Amino acid sequence: MALLQIAEPGQSPKPHQRRLAVGIDLGTTNSLVAALRSGISEPLPDANGQVILPSAVRYHADRVEVGQSAKDAAATDPLNTIISVKRLMGRGISDVKHLGDQLPYRFIGGESHMPFIETVQGAKSPVEVSADILKVLRQRAEATLGGDLVGAVITVPAYFDDAQRQATKDAAKLAGLTVLRLLNEPTAAAVAYGLDQNAEGVVAIYDLGGGTFDISILRLTGGVFEVMATGGDSALGGDDFDHAIASWIITEAGLSDDLDPAAQRSLMQTACAAKEALTDTDSVEVVHGNWKGALTRAAFDALIEPMIARSLKACRRAVRDCGIELEEVEAVVMVGGSTRVPRVRDAVAELFGRQPLTEIDPDQVVAIGAAIQADTLAGNKRDGGELLLLDVIPLSLGLETMGGLMEKVIPRNTTIPVARAQEFTTYKDGQSAMMIHVLQGERELISDCRSLARFDLRGIPAMVAGAAKIRVTFQVDADGLLSVSARELASGVESSIQVKPSYGLTDGEITRMLKDSFQYAGDDKVARVLREQQVDAQRLIEAVEGALQADGERLLDAEERMVIDLQLDELRELIKGTDGGAIEQQTKRLSQVTDAFAARRLDSTVKAALSGRNLNEIEE
Amino acid sequence: MGTPCHFALFDLQPGFRLDLDLLATRYRELARSVHPDRFADASEREQRVALERSASLNDAYQTLKNAPKRARYLLALRGEVPLEVTVHDPDFLMQQMQWREELEDLQDEADLDGVATFKRRLKAAQEELNESFAACWDDAAQREQAERLMRRMQFLDKLSYEVRQLEERLDD
Repeated sequence: MALLQIAEPGQSPKPHQRRLAVGIDLGTTNSLVAALRSGISEPLPDANGQVILPSAVRYHADRVEVGQSAKDAAATDPLNTIISVKRLMGRGISDVKHLGDQLPYRFIGGESHMPFIETVQGAKSPVEVSADILKVLRQRAEATLGGDLVGAVITVPAYFDDAQRQATKDAAKLAGLTVLRLLNEPTAAAVAYGLDQNAEGVVAIYDLGGGTFDISILRLTGGVFEVMATGGDSALGGDDFDHAIASWIITEAGLSDDLDPAAQRSLMQTACAAKEALTDTDSVEVVHGNWKGALTRAAFDALIEPMIARSLKACRRAVRDCGIELEEVEAVVMVGGSTRVPRVRDAVAELFGRQPLTEIDPDQVVAIGAAIQADTLAGNKRDGGELLLLDVIPLSLGLETMGGLMEKVIPRNTTIPVARAQEFTTYKDGQSAMMIHVLQGERELISDCRSLARFDLRGIPAMVAGAAKIRVTFQVDADGLLSVSARELASGVESSIQVKPSYGLTDGEITRMLKDSFQYAGDDKVARVLREQQVDAQRLIEAVEGALQADGERLLDAEERMVIDLQLDELRELIKGTDGGAIEQQTKRLSQVTDAFAARRLDSTVKAALSGRNLNEIEE
Repeated sequence: MGTPCHFALFDLQPGFRLDLDLLATRYRELARSVHPDRFADASEREQRVALERSASLNDAYQTLKNAPKRARYLLALRGEVPLEVTVHDPDFLMQQMQWREELEDLQDEADLDGVATFKRRLKAAQEELNESFAACWDDAAQREQAERLMRRMQFLDKLSYEVRQLEERLDD
């Protein structure tokens, strides 16, 4: 309601001014930031004119180094230089153990099951490492565009599950970025390509990055990009090609499997260089220590054949999910640096029976598309009509039922936003609580699916087994993020307990990281955001206090008044501290609980105005 | 009054026969106006409302787009809420068993060509059922038959899902 609403910082700019928003491709190997400038979407360069920021972060005792210089040090300082951190986002410790030989870090557990990496600067979570990359991109954007950002569209692999998406959003929050939308990478590429070529019809996007593979099939109809199906493998990418070559070198050179981290890194770098060289030649010399050998393109193709086959299988499945035949796909677009490998292009051409399109730089196309959407979401008008992106969830969502089985509530490839409800019941007489275990995946057994979260629904009234009707509602928003609520229908009891994310950060961990980021980053921007939150909170407190004084007695009963006072006190306490996130949350909460009060005040004023009397006269 | 029925939402006459292209066009137009992207810089409340409206729109579209779901919806609109009980349909029961056995054989033999043929026959059977439903829908005297047909449509729909799963398993 108007009376108590506070404008968010950054809103209401001068009407003729463009609101600054960017698209960010947070890649496994490389990251970019792009923006719309003079109607053209382009990546933003750093001070040296480079647009690509290698996704490498090196922790020193007193500072953080991000980018090419960090990547260069990867072989000499492997334990403090984090590369391919995207592979760790939203994963648990047991997931990352099997990546151990590719990622030689010292892992330790946190409050959640998220793996923290031990560095000279202390334990870092993958979320913090990603945030350090995002910070650099944010600063680059603000410097180049000459102003504060309203927000950013951050891309994620279409096949990322809820935990991986949540982790990405947390990283953005830590980096001081407002996320306008989490956008699926293939969809972003489709936007860039579709608008560039004014394309219509059915298009497939084959996106092979450093660590993830996505295939999306879209229908383009006059500015509407509708995803029909998406599939992929969130653990398949160019890094795996490098790994295959590294294994080959180990065998050929007769090395032991048990290499120290520095040697592992150095080997991976040699492998990566060989892979890239083979794009343009048929054979390349490979040197490792005292050993020299030759890797032919044919041998390389054989090494990567099983991985390419996996990607093609996912393509066939996505096409089947659409209910169409391969021939009906009218164009195939290559996205991601790894699609430069000749065998990949050939395999895709064979499958779809047409040459894939590679006009737009496969490293930049995702960021370019994201920037276009960012510009629209920020509120700027777009020349050439409105853009509409209709995406889907990539994996089925469901619940654990009796016997360790997964019951699907929302099938994969359902258009989002989506809301579905399912009813369950108790299995014991008098059962008063129910544990709801939410999972994502396609398999029958919960042990084969990804656990997303568990929460308790308490206070179910005592009933005979099977009598209670518990409705669990799943809602997936446009970012692909899930919220779940549960309600017992007869009594109306609603779930009120915190959702414990299985692989995410707990609120406590996020708060601590935000606090830490003030210390280490020495970042003025973050401090300013805190100030703004305190100012907003103070304004709201004063407005509520004034409203209570004027109309509290008249318009509120004792219970309502108590609720408001409680939230007001809470905010008064928090505002003294430095927990910006908590202040912002509590400001929202206070605003919500005073919503009805504000409405009543407005009604009362309106009534008085209509009847030509003033408020004092109405009071009887 | 409750929410408008799905047909009204898309400005279409309630009925089984539907111009799917027209439905798709209307869907895209409506999606434009309620999608959360349209409200990215609006208040939280407006964003929540957009999210709910979008989800409802998507649900309505999915229901009308799919023939068995559309049939079920029509029956529900007419006040006949079909219960999840077994319906007497002995003729079809035989056919159900036959379809299932064939599918199992195809799986055991890993017969991809056989699967392609099966799919075509399945599609033809579905189209035939759709026609039958459309024909009996308008006739009040054939109410029971309509429900029976709807269940057959549901069965074949589930079967085509199982065929896709089989194709996936054989794709190795």
